[in-house]
Amino acid sequence: MSSFGAGMPTVARGILSSARLPLREKSIVPTLAGLQQVRGLKNQKKDKGKKGKSEAKPSRRAPLEFRQGNLKDLTQYTLCDAMRFIRAIEVGRERTVSKYEVAIRMRTRRDGPVIRNMIRFPHAVQTESRICVICPPGSKQAKDALAAGAVLVGEEEVFAAVKAGKIEFDRCLAHPDSLPALNKAALGRILGPRGLMPSVKTGTVVEDVASRVEMLRGGTIYRERDATIRLPIGQLGFSPEQLRDNLRTTIESIKKDAAGLNDRINKEIYEVVLSSTHGPGFSLNGEFKTDDSPETSALTGL
Amino acid sequence: MVNFFKRMRKLNTILEVRTGVGAALFPNAATATKEFPTVTRLHLTYARKIYGGHQGARHFWRRALPRLKYHNPSVAMTVKPTDEQDGPAVLTVYYAERLSSTAPGIAGSKPVVDKYAPAPDANEKSAVIDLKNLTFEEIWRRVQASTGAKDFVATADDEANAKNLADISARAPGDRQRIKAIRQAKKDQERMLAEARGEVEKQ
Repeated sequence: MSSFGAGMPTVARGILSSARLPLREKSIVPTLAGLQQVRGLKNQKKDKGKKGKSEAKPSRRAPLEFRQGNLKDLTQYTLCDAMRFIRAIEVGRERTVSKYEVAIRMRTRRDGPVIRNMIRFPHAVQTESRICVICPPGSKQAKDALAAGAVLVGEEEVFAAVKAGKIEFDRCLAHPDSLPALNKAALGRILGPRGLMPSVKTGTVVEDVASRVEMLRGGTIYRERDATIRLPIGQLGFSPEQLRDNLRTTIESIKKDAAGLNDRINKEIYEVVLSSTHGPGFSLNGEFKTDDSPETSALTGL
Repeated sequence: MVNFFKRMRKLNTILEVRTGVGAALFPNAATATKEFPTVTRLHLTYARKIYGGHQGARHFWRRALPRLKYHNPSVAMTVKPTDEQDGPAVLTVYYAERLSSTAPGIAGSKPVVDKYAPAPDANEKSAVIDLKNLTFEEIWRRVQASTGAKDFVATADDEANAKNLADISARAPGDRQRIKAIRQAKKDQERMLAEARGEVEKQ
């Protein structure tokens, strides 16, 4: 744009760059007239009209679909090769910190519904997920929730702990019976920004608290943002087979979610990228291993 | 996601783990000899800051260890950074069955004690290398001498990739200047237009 119309009067150049039209000397009417046209949107339109109908009106709107790169520009790796690189780059990192992560790029429209769901991996990624359940203390649900592995159960004591700034859990569920008490305690200010406030809309207010606790303990929530779903998928010590199982479960689940949307919505998986906490991303080509890949046993453990 | 070209450019830079200092194969079950037995695992202990001669040890971890791990995926490698600047900077090499013939000489007469290194198994022998005040290249020379690691020979693909990256780096200063000039011209023009509209003070 900068060299564009360099020999012309300033004002004329202004019109040019704001209207983003190719250079045509004739269409720029005398400089004086140009001076009056500088800011008027209307005038610019008129100006465009003069240039003839052959020129398409430049679209200011973003494209309807997310733009996708050409996969031919990309080197893609088999799962074992990608794991070999990632394990090399993560060498010496702490076992509990580093995780395999996956980013799944979708081919989808910019508007419309997004995928949001939870899955349970065949091989658990998170070693520990602390869950808080808000339900009447001493009730059957409270006992069941504790048995299912919730770390914090109750009403008043939970509210007091949260108000004191002690939030020692990663998830929060509530039983419908406790909802009035919860609303009265006005914890939305504290829990809301952390995404921990139970609400019917997010499915964290449930009758059967215990089964949900069990699900959450092994489950990972994923969500599509800007056409990409990112989620942790395995511990660094996983074998390629374990990682493959988790990856397969994830992709099947996402495909199911995409199929479950409205009939007119077309969403499909475009690219799967494997990376890790400190490592780079490797686009996967869907193969498990090549002849040059090391034995799968060599890619297991730390 | 980021533009594919940009992503591949960065990835190719990172993938220098295939070649360079430390790109070598330890003797494994197939290539082990009497002189150089199989290397089963490595453990590195160093202090986080560089004072007290810990710099080379950390650089060895960041630069050479990924390459070693890439070419020897089955050799377990652990790293323990400590806060003890006066403590040891040590690499412990674990051999199957017996030590290599050169390992005792490199370990020195008064071997350092690394309390963080895991104890060798019943069928393992371990030798230590003191890393204090050594550069990471020197550390690698000693590791190679004591384990008998064979250097990895770069393939034609690796060489082509390295040449491509070197070419890009050589072109980069010129490109940078060109882009800078374009951006400056654009900025100047915008400034001039703003001045003409009276939105900003004239300089």
